[in-house]
Amino acid sequence: MRKNRIILVLVYVLFFFSSVQLFHIQQTNPVFEDRGRLVSVKMKTLTSGKDEKDLIKIVDSAKRQNDTISIAGIQHSQGGQTLYPNGVLLNMKSYNKILELDENKKMITVQSGATWDDIQRFINPRGLALKVSQSQNIFTVGGSLSVNVHGRDIRHQGLIETVDSFRLLTAEGKIINVSRAENEELFELVIGGYGLFGVILDVTLHLTDDELYQIETHSLAFDEYSEYFQREVIQNEAVKMHLARLSVAPETFLEDMYVTNYLLSDHQELLLEHMNLKRDSTIAIPKLFLGISRQSDWGKDLFWETQENYTKRLNGSLITRNNVMRSDSTFMDYEHARKTEVLQEYFVPVDNYESYIKDLKAMLLKQPEFNLLNITVRYVEKNEKAVMSYAKQDMFALVLLINQDIDQDSMKMNQEVIRKMIDITLVHEGSYYLPYYHYASKDQLRKAYPRTEEFFELKDKYDPEHLFMNLFYEEYH
Amino acid sequence: MNTRNFIIYQSTVGIAASIIFPFYILFLKNVGSSYSQFGWAYGLFALTAAFSYPFIGKMADKLGDHLLLAIYSWGMAAILLVFPLAYEIWHVYVLQIVMGLLGAIQKNSEKAFLARAVNKETAGVEIGRYHEWTSIGAAIAVIATGYLVDFLTIGSLFYIASIAFAWSGFYVMKFRNETK
Ligand SMILES: Cc1cc2nc3c(=O)[nH]c(=O)nc-3n(C[C@H](O)[C@H](O)[C@H](O)COP(=O)(O)OP(=O)(O)OC[C@H]3O[C@@H](n4cnc5c(N)ncnc54)[C@H](O)[C@@H]3O)c2cc1C
Repeated sequence: MRKNRIILVLVYVLFFFSSVQLFHIQQTNPVFEDRGRLVSVKMKTLTSGKDEKDLIKIVDSAKRQNDTISIAGIQHSQGGQTLYPNGVLLNMKSYNKILELDENKKMITVQSGATWDDIQRFINPRGLALKVSQSQNIFTVGGSLSVNVHGRDIRHQGLIETVDSFRLLTAEGKIINVSRAENEELFELVIGGYGLFGVILDVTLHLTDDELYQIETHSLAFDEYSEYFQREVIQNEAVKMHLARLSVAPETFLEDMYVTNYLLSDHQELLLEHMNLKRDSTIAIPKLFLGISRQSDWGKDLFWETQENYTKRLNGSLITRNNVMRSDSTFMDYEHARKTEVLQEYFVPVDNYESYIKDLKAMLLKQPEFNLLNITVRYVEKNEKAVMSYAKQDMFALVLLINQDIDQDSMKMNQEVIRKMIDITLVHEGSYYLPYYHYASKDQLRKAYPRTEEFFELKDKYDPEHLFMNLFYEEYH
Repeated sequence: MNTRNFIIYQSTVGIAASIIFPFYILFLKNVGSSYSQFGWAYGLFALTAAFSYPFIGKMADKLGDHLLLAIYSWGMAAILLVFPLAYEIWHVYVLQIVMGLLGAIQKNSEKAFLARAVNKETAGVEIGRYHEWTSIGAAIAVIATGYLVDFLTIGSLFYIASIAFAWSGFYVMKFRNETK
């Protein structure tokens, strides 16, 4: 009996250590996926650095071991822009200090893992605000620079215009300054460069004053929008920010719109009263409506009406610039085993909007399976500074939220519809946005971004060994 | 084995089970990709248990409770070494079937042992005392684990629980010959 017990213990110990060993091996090959769960990739390791020295070490060691590096912010891009099989995932989130604020010059220097929220908390009490960011503030500065974001602001073009300079850790393992005066070529490549040219370290951004805005809302038809925008919005100096929605509800599909303008208020003395940064407001109700509209047409009609009425009620109310730039996205969080929600964004010249929407509508009406949940419209002024620039003219930017299954067939169906939408966009001299899932064909990329070849050639120039890699490069180079 | 030894044994396995239980659910949820798979994983567990009770009952009277408890302990110790390695849904299904069987062995043996050990006249008090101690053990374990997860990974909790089960198996085998 005693003998049996001892033998059992020995066998157990043997199994125990084998299991721990295997577990260890499994853990060092972690699988990562993007938030949309369409891309899942086995990577070699996950690493992060708190300071420059750590980051240089990570780059050096990857080079020595012939590994690739994929750089990641909070990974809200949706097509594996932060992933590459068997590569090192360099997570920048802990590299997030605020380094310097010059209140006179209105400039701030931050490490690239900082989020807009981190910056807003720091500058809001000092009466300053960002010039350009996404509508939400959850993203990292590095991730935002790398896609050259735009948002509700209509007076400062894309993010690139607000960047003074940054430092870059290159594929050679060197740290260089990049600005319009120094290494200018890299300035135009790294911003909108999807992490392919090096690690963005710290970034100096131009800020502006926090201001109090008065909200103005208005309903109109899609074919009135371009004219309305040019007459009432762009020409009215008081309007600082703008946002519109285009209906996806069956009764008013791609017909009805409503707009929200943010006008400089005549009562700036009230700024102090409104200055507290908004916390996440209640999300249960929008979440419920969005939930119903995922399922049914009447849900979509209901969602549209409710949204429109809710927005109308905001008419006349006051809000600070900082609070406009921290709108809520958590109600969009969506967990479903077989389905996911993806974004697409199309840019179309302001003058071509009407004919564009007509063509888009004609095509989408033939696709009853395609579950479109929301379209927002914003404006981005022409800016061709970045090599991969999407704003070849003054553009309306349409963001589409699409609910889809993640099985192969649905992916294919979606791809077909999305490629058709991109074709229509290209016919109207538009382009599409690159942080989302790579449904587009290689050919479409080259049409939307005429300097694509140059972009990939310069990749070879600055990173000949292909140290910095991701699935965007893999798919399209 | 007397009731005191049995309480020590049951407290140990109770603690071990409580360490993993909350995380075990999280784990199943992660591996499965839909709620129906989650449902199946649980269903298989319950079904296996249901079908194995008659058989286990017979075995208990033939082989004795100690041997079955030893099988349960070592079985759990072994299966918890496999758990951290599972990553596909069918792995989980297989594990759930084995766990269903082992769980049934434990439940049946626990009751059979108590039925044989206690006095009919004082059964209420004795079983009450038994439950008191084993419940205290489980409660402490659940609370302590809440703190442990801050320091340890979920993987290591499976290993700690496995060691506890192995010890309980070792312990219960000490008594086997005495009663038979
Ligand atoms: C709900 C939602 C709303 C959105 N709204 C808007 C919007 O209003 N306007 C808009 O323009 N975009 C919008 N986007 C797109 C979003 O701006 C991009 O996906 C952005 O890249 C996300 O930032 P991130 O921190 O998650 O970057 P990640 O997804 O982590 O990274 C994006 C890219 O940047 C690179 N990168 C990250 N950090 C660094 C670094 N330090 N150095 C070098 N390269 C780096 C990565 O390699 C990758 O290629 C939205 C996306 C979502 C999901």
